Amino acid sequence: MISAGTIVQSLLSGILEGGNYALYCLGLAFVFGIMRIINMAHGEFVVLGGYAAYWLLVKWGVSPLLSLPLAAGIAGGTALVVYRVLLQRIRTTAELNTLILTFGVGIFLANLFLQLWTADLRNIDVGWAQNPLSFVGICISFGEIAAFALSLAGVLGLDAFLRRTKTGKAIRVTAIDRDAAALAGIDVERIDLLAFGIGGLLAGLAGPLLGMLSYLSPGAGIAVTIKAFILTVLAGVGSIPGLIVAGMILGIGEAMTVTFVTSSYRELFGFTLFLVVLLIRPSGLFGRRT
Amino acid sequence: MKRLRAFRLTEEVAAALVFAAVAVLPVAISFNPYYLSIFISALILGAVSIAWNLLAGVCGQVSFGHAGFFGIGAYVSAILVMKAGWNPYIAMGAAGLAGVTGALLIGIPAFRLRGPYFALAILGFAEVMKLLAVNLTGLTEGSQGIFNVPPLPGFRVGGVVVDFYVSGTPNYYFAAVLMLAVYLAAYFLRRSNTGLAMFAVQGDEETAAGIGVPVLRTKLVALTVSAFSTALMGAFYTHYVHFLSPDMAFDGYWTVMPVVGSLFGGMGTLIGPGVGSLVITGLDEFVFKRFFETGHKLFFGLLLAVVIVWAPSGLLGRRVRKTTHGGKG
Repeated sequence: MISAGTIVQSLLSGILEGGNYALYCLGLAFVFGIMRIINMAHGEFVVLGGYAAYWLLVKWGVSPLLSLPLAAGIAGGTALVVYRVLLQRIRTTAELNTLILTFGVGIFLANLFLQLWTADLRNIDVGWAQNPLSFVGICISFGEIAAFALSLAGVLGLDAFLRRTKTGKAIRVTAIDRDAAALAGIDVERIDLLAFGIGGLLAGLAGPLLGMLSYLSPGAGIAVTIKAFILTVLAGVGSIPGLIVAGMILGIGEAMTVTFVTSSYRELFGFTLFLVVLLIRPSGLFGRRT
Repeated sequence: MKRLRAFRLTEEVAAALVFAAVAVLPVAISFNPYYLSIFISALILGAVSIAWNLLAGVCGQVSFGHAGFFGIGAYVSAILVMKAGWNPYIAMGAAGLAGVTGALLIGIPAFRLRGPYFALAILGFAEVMKLLAVNLTGLTEGSQGIFNVPPLPGFRVGGVVVDFYVSGTPNYYFAAVLMLAVYLAAYFLRRSNTGLAMFAVQGDEETAAGIGVPVLRTKLVALTVSAFSTALMGAFYTHYVHFLSPDMAFDGYWTVMPVVGSLFGGMGTLIGPGVGSLVITGLDEFVFKRFFETGHKLFFGLLLAVVIVWAPSGLLGRRVRKTTHGGKG
């Protein structure tokens, strides 16, 4: 039977899981908020970062926490190349083109992973991540806590970067009014490149966590992209801190679905929530109403 | 291609050429069952691509979830025939209507917003439909799948007996007829007032609304026709292969390939996606799979990127790439 302890446990793991969701979707939310481009390859960038950490651990025993910068760098670098070689050329054409292009990039990457590393499910398995921290019968693992902390740091760090630094301010100005930003002497082309690169970087940062708490597979990216978009809409486009709250709502809802209904319908919660938000409050929880 | 244009290769001429080629193709390959089976799936894909492009190329709404409609069609038809004893032809029609229901469910909330909302909502929709097919085991047998889906019942035309079970040829021509039907539906719809409205919505949604185009309704018409056709092809597919599983019916193939086929063939034409699908299936079967057996689909991603950046008009047809005003996109 479902006891109070079970409920608290699932509430807590929902909150933690939801906190991680914020990091999974940060890159997509950022790029969409700033550039109005949905990066359909976002999930593949995440998975790429995950694979980087996985191979570092398997081949050289590098801890996934240490390989975070490299995972972020590889995904960020890939994003820069994608933007420079492809996306930049069709940036100003119809939106449908950027959607299809990034969708194609995602397909390319997913199948490249499949060709290189087979369809095996891979888990970044480090002993300490599984160690539970127990408190009055409720346990959470160190892995979950580390991921949560990193996620929080990622969100707050990005928010601070956008508010405090000169580059961050330039990015925000460009998002608000591109022409005015160009007149003010901001190299908007460079800002675009930078923003897309940061998006990839953030996606890569999430990869090792995904591999630690769940598993990596060549096709795992698409689910990440969907979840990231659901959260972006739920939080409200442009609201970076809102992602944490939105992530927690999704995480708790999913955990409750698992506890009270069945784990097979977990994904159904997010999608239903998404449709309800689109119908009732399309600007999201923290977005400005238009 | 330049030379073809000089001959004024119109939509109608191109379509007539394509369907004539489709009609004689089995003779050219002397009814070889292996090649025939490849071309049957190519025709199914061709029809789905034409349907996809009605939504994306004509009305400007990209869908990354046509596998959802395809799978709904396959399951509804198989279940109606096997559990309720319906005639497969009638069940196929019902499967199309089930696709329409799904389309309205997703289209009404997602089309109210401009931008990429629909493309992503429908991607999630397809995933959820697959999830339901896996979990509603009482109805769908879950992930083990449904075996022995009956073929379409045979009939007699004059003295000729058409039997869908024994040979591939009737299936081939039935698929060709379905593709023709989907094409004609798209063709006449495009020429109607609603078709004009769709084109206006594709051009600029706000302007279209300004001159009195009912934007939401127009998008929904494009989506429902597209979903009906796709679900119909899914239903045909299940009766053709006699087997059904969530992985197969909702395979990402049916989401990705219509996009690839349409872009490759040319989104600015109605027949282009059909041609693109036929060519791309052939390329995949005879070229890509020889290179990379497991990851051959990476070529599709590559092709999408290359076509959209450097050859947005595709194999046939005029340029569809449009420049939006200002830089904000």
